Amino acid sequence: MEDEDKYNVCTACSILCDDIEIETENNSITGVYTACRKGVSRIQTCNEPMPCTLDGKDTDVDTAISETANILKKSENPLIFGLGNSTEGAQKKAIELAKQLNANLDDTSSFCQGPVVEAILNGEINYTCTLDDVRNNADVIVYWGADPANSHPRHLSKYTYFPRGKYRQKGYDEDRTAIAIDVRESSTAEICGNNSYLIPPQKDEELIDALIDALSGKVPKVSFEMNKKRILELANILKKAKYGVIFAGLGLVYSLDNFEPIKRLMDKLNEVSNFYFNPMIGHYNMRGFNQNLFNETGYINRVKFKDSEVKHGYEYSVVELLKNKSVDSALIIGSDPMCSLPGSIARNLNKIPIITIDPCETLTSRKSRINIPSALSGVECGGSAIRMDGVRVNFEPMIETSKISDEEILRRVMEEL
Amino acid sequence: MDFGKFLETPEYDIKIITYRDIFQSEALENSLFGDEYKDLSAIIKLDSKDMEKMGIKSGNIVYLKNKYGDVVVKAVESDSENPHRGYAYMPNSPWSNSLVSDETGNTGVPNYKLIDASISDAKGEDIADIEKLEVVNV
Amino acid sequence: MANAMEIYQLLPKTNCKKCGKSTCMAFATALLSGELRLDDCPEILEDKYKQNYEKLSELVAPIENASETGMIIHEGKCTGCGNCVVACPVNVAEDPKGTGIGLAPKNDRVILKVVNGVVQKGNIHNCRRFGENKILCNACIETCPTKAIEFV
Repeated sequence: MEDEDKYNVCTACSILCDDIEIETENNSITGVYTACRKGVSRIQTCNEPMPCTLDGKDTDVDTAISETANILKKSENPLIFGLGNSTEGAQKKAIELAKQLNANLDDTSSFCQGPVVEAILNGEINYTCTLDDVRNNADVIVYWGADPANSHPRHLSKYTYFPRGKYRQKGYDEDRTAIAIDVRESSTAEICGNNSYLIPPQKDEELIDALIDALSGKVPKVSFEMNKKRILELANILKKAKYGVIFAGLGLVYSLDNFEPIKRLMDKLNEVSNFYFNPMIGHYNMRGFNQNLFNETGYINRVKFKDSEVKHGYEYSVVELLKNKSVDSALIIGSDPMCSLPGSIARNLNKIPIITIDPCETLTSRKSRINIPSALSGVECGGSAIRMDGVRVNFEPMIETSKISDEEILRRVMEEL
Repeated sequence: MDFGKFLETPEYDIKIITYRDIFQSEALENSLFGDEYKDLSAIIKLDSKDMEKMGIKSGNIVYLKNKYGDVVVKAVESDSENPHRGYAYMPNSPWSNSLVSDETGNTGVPNYKLIDASISDAKGEDIADIEKLEVVNV
Repeated sequence: MANAMEIYQLLPKTNCKKCGKSTCMAFATALLSGELRLDDCPEILEDKYKQNYEKLSELVAPIENASETGMIIHEGKCTGCGNCVVACPVNVAEDPKGTGIGLAPKNDRVILKVVNGVVQKGNIHNCRRFGENKILCNACIETCPTKAIEFV
């Protein structure tokens, strides 16, 4: 990109928009250009920055770090969790730390887009492309169980539906078709107009098989109220695509028991046309965590280090570990499991000592023994991250801070150990 | 809280679909503990015909319950153009998570998106602030 | 949004023509389109219409604040997604290497851009809905996920 210097990267979601301009005055951000509403609220930082505390009382970072090392040292089965909002540098440090401690290590992908990223990284699904490829080539864009208008606001305008691309010069109304398949009329479905397909919850697999039938020249059948003509019409758009992309949201991922139906559909689509598959990842660097852990262990999440061994399985997922009360301490980095886990599981966090590293106060931090404030990555510290499509993005801090990065905090914890 | 009194009011089964809302996400980035985040989170959007049947009006406070937890939120009439009787919508938040099952069928992935619960009029009960939610107070 | 009939009902209905229009109904339409302003009606300024004047002021406030093309941006609804920015044919023509391909604007000739998370209008005279050869372009309306843009 020309004028690259003047642009900043937004870390509010995993599109990692790299064309953001800011204005600053006395080291505070006074104007943000081109970022969406969600991005601006991230860039302007939170109203409740995290204080450095130990047992509810203010302390200094040095004390907090050495106490953290003490808790982790004494712990027999610690959990390290979070890291979707951390730089790759911090993620690599956390993996090292988990090895050193024989800890469990997991991230939000464990109850989010993990299965999709896993299928992509271990080559189970080969049909994937970058967002830049989508901009330049895609003529059919399918959002399945995803509502980027609310979760990834610039997805359609920066990459998929609205921009002109190398082979899509005529504009969205002539050159591209956007389709929404969902259980509710989302804002994204609204934009897709007649190409919005409503299905009942948990019926995604049925629609997948009906589409495969239609694409095979058979009569599609579904148990729910959906006109056969509508299914044929959808299949026809998919079949005619020169370069189609399916963006899978959590709605699709949560409704399937496993990845097989998606594989079936992608195989069929690539028999009759040309289709790609991409996950709509939430946190800005969730994919980075998955890739870094994969490079190190062959697994994307849910690992337990035991001396030189790496164990992996659903029983090492944050959800099962907390449900079974098998961990005796938790180091939470840039995440708020008390908020994001089912209440029936998160409540077990109250029973173990928690250490939270985060730029902002969280529900988890209010229940933590130790809180260590960190620099907000992308705003107060730089680094690199992996975009939702696997592309690495480097970024510099927008403003200066006296707070240290989570990478540095983790490094110092390891030193203390 | 005395939930005994809710037993006297009729209960209805409802399936809750969770979703994301950018204005709620913005409020979260600004302040997790602020009123705006609470106001945009602790709500349930119901089909107007369902509301009629249940005798619940827009703005009423309702009590949601299943075997995994319970929570008090505000009922709002759905702005959806298509009817969705039997289904209600809630933005994803610690309030909706209060009702999410801890059973994952050995997958490690809870079903966040579709929650079975019962709904009843909570007759002016207060909506819990985030820090008063059961998850942090057990 | 107010309609012409609502506005008409509150006007003096004397068809005095002092505003330059032949009827009060025509004046109401001119108010709606932004061609005339409420204060162009001398009679409504009289004391006996005080209440009606206040009601009318409220009704036409969003119109009088609208740009010359009648574009209103409801900032509270806007998500800053930039769909309108990228879909706007004038933006594409004026800024093919920036907004045209989904990126930040590369020059000041664009009509729409996102500032502090909300879309902002500028250079509105270049909008296709403006001027003698105006056409009813809907690109920024139909691409908005929250109905944050309307024309009056």
